[in-house]
Amino acid sequence: MIEFLGELAGWFADPATWSGRDGIPVRLWEHLWISGVSLAGSIGIGLPLGLAIGHTGRGAGTVVAVANIGRAVPSLGLMGLAFLLLLPLGLGVGPLPTIVALVALGIPPIVVNAYTGLREVDRDLIEAARGMGMREREVLRGVEVPIALPVILAGIRTSAVQIVATATLAAAIGGGTLGQLIVIGFNVGDQVRIFGGALVVAALSIATELGFAWIQRRATSPGLRGRGYAPIDPAPVAPGGGTPLP
Amino acid sequence: MRTNRTFVLGAALLALVISACTPGEGDSPAASAGGESQAADLPSLTIGSAGFWESAVVAEIYAQALEGAGFTVERSLELGARDVTHPALVDGEIDLMPEYIGGYLAVTYEGEPTPDIEESLTALRTELEADGLVAFEPTPGTDADGFAVRQETADDLGLATMSDLAEVAGDLTWGVAQECAENPNCGPGLERVYGIDFASLDVETLAACSTAIAEALNASNIDVAQVCTTQPEIAGFNLVLLEDDLGLAPAQNLVPVARQELVDEAGEVLETTLNEVSALLTTEELTNLGAAVILNGESYEDAASQWLEDNGL
Repeated sequence: MIEFLGELAGWFADPATWSGRDGIPVRLWEHLWISGVSLAGSIGIGLPLGLAIGHTGRGAGTVVAVANIGRAVPSLGLMGLAFLLLLPLGLGVGPLPTIVALVALGIPPIVVNAYTGLREVDRDLIEAARGMGMREREVLRGVEVPIALPVILAGIRTSAVQIVATATLAAAIGGGTLGQLIVIGFNVGDQVRIFGGALVVAALSIATELGFAWIQRRATSPGLRGRGYAPIDPAPVAPGGGTPLP
Repeated sequence: MRTNRTFVLGAALLALVISACTPGEGDSPAASAGGESQAADLPSLTIGSAGFWESAVVAEIYAQALEGAGFTVERSLELGARDVTHPALVDGEIDLMPEYIGGYLAVTYEGEPTPDIEESLTALRTELEADGLVAFEPTPGTDADGFAVRQETADDLGLATMSDLAEVAGDLTWGVAQECAENPNCGPGLERVYGIDFASLDVETLAACSTAIAEALNASNIDVAQVCTTQPEIAGFNLVLLEDDLGLAPAQNLVPVARQELVDEAGEVLETTLNEVSALLTTEELTNLGAAVILNGESYEDAASQWLEDNGL
């Protein structure tokens, strides 16, 4: 055990670990940009969808059901499918199949949380806003979204962590990422690299979690923060009541 | 190559259990084909194979050829990896199986195979002797790591050998295994033997010998793919396997490995029959046999009997 930790430290200390095609910096950067683009895609699709059904209440059953089915599809299977479908376009090898799969993976938590967050906003507040003459868009932007923001951001945070952790699989289909370190370790029978690679991915996932938690705290309106809300709790929050719903 | 074969181990063990529960092949119809005068003297034998298609279909070819020569043959195919098949040979659970010179020497005996067939085979035979085993003549065909291109690329650039490829290496997108940069038979080997500067190549990484890498090559996502030289998709997609003209890959030619006891009992007819088969198994023939069983779903029996018929055996 001690010996293994020594080898692990040796691996991290080795300059070769930090240089070249399969060095940590190159693969880390690849991991980050693929995750970033994927998260942006998930937000771009998931957020408008979640806000629309949350605001209107229409189509919610269908969308949430589809989103939940989406969670059940294995990401590796989706990557393999995207790989095969993109091959004829010359885009099968490289980051795109991974991005397609990660966008799909990231959408459900964002949709479900945006929807839930909006539906949990006190109906009286919305009626009051309408009574003051606010248009629907203004109600959404000025009342619903600010109040639901902690829950919406919690969805994005969940999505981000899942994407960062799952991007590792890209190495299996030519997408690179930090998973490359693990696959190489596996193929050459080097447990130090398997563990070292996994450690880097785990650290990145935790950093993502902490980073988004910080953003979430910062973005929560002081009015909500000061009244006993639990802003980083992804569970739906009961407006006015001050305690998270079960 | 090695990885996907070990995955077959589970299935192979299952097959073993099932085959152990079913009645033996008994008198095969092929036994009547020839050598009636010898039939009485010839011993019965059990043929085994490793847990993947190529070993199994070659073992089945051995079986049918030997039945044709008058032997009574039992089959115990797809046993698994060498940690299963080698003890089975040594202990006499099986008497004969196809093996790979380089892999057998490296994995079981921790030897160092070279691209030189004779040298590697001599080293293997020395090791086998101590275990009471005999290796006959090797096939011309080899199942080693290799590189393939599309037919059109080969035509356009005039590629037939790895030396040809080396001259245009920098203009092409390579698909190689993730660990290529540190596999002595891949990145460093390309550099040492063919003078290809691996670090400067345009490289995508996919599992070598996989269907995915063959698909990616066929769909022009990459221009060169690291393949196994007898990979069925080479035939399926009409890919061009480049000849390893300067000798990068260790010799992975197939040899029939038999127990010395069987060789003593069976006499010359065993050796001549198997050598006759081996001499015809080129890399291309092995690839076509793979295409028959993997891509066309033929049974080992059908593919083997068809092959023997086509080759007049």
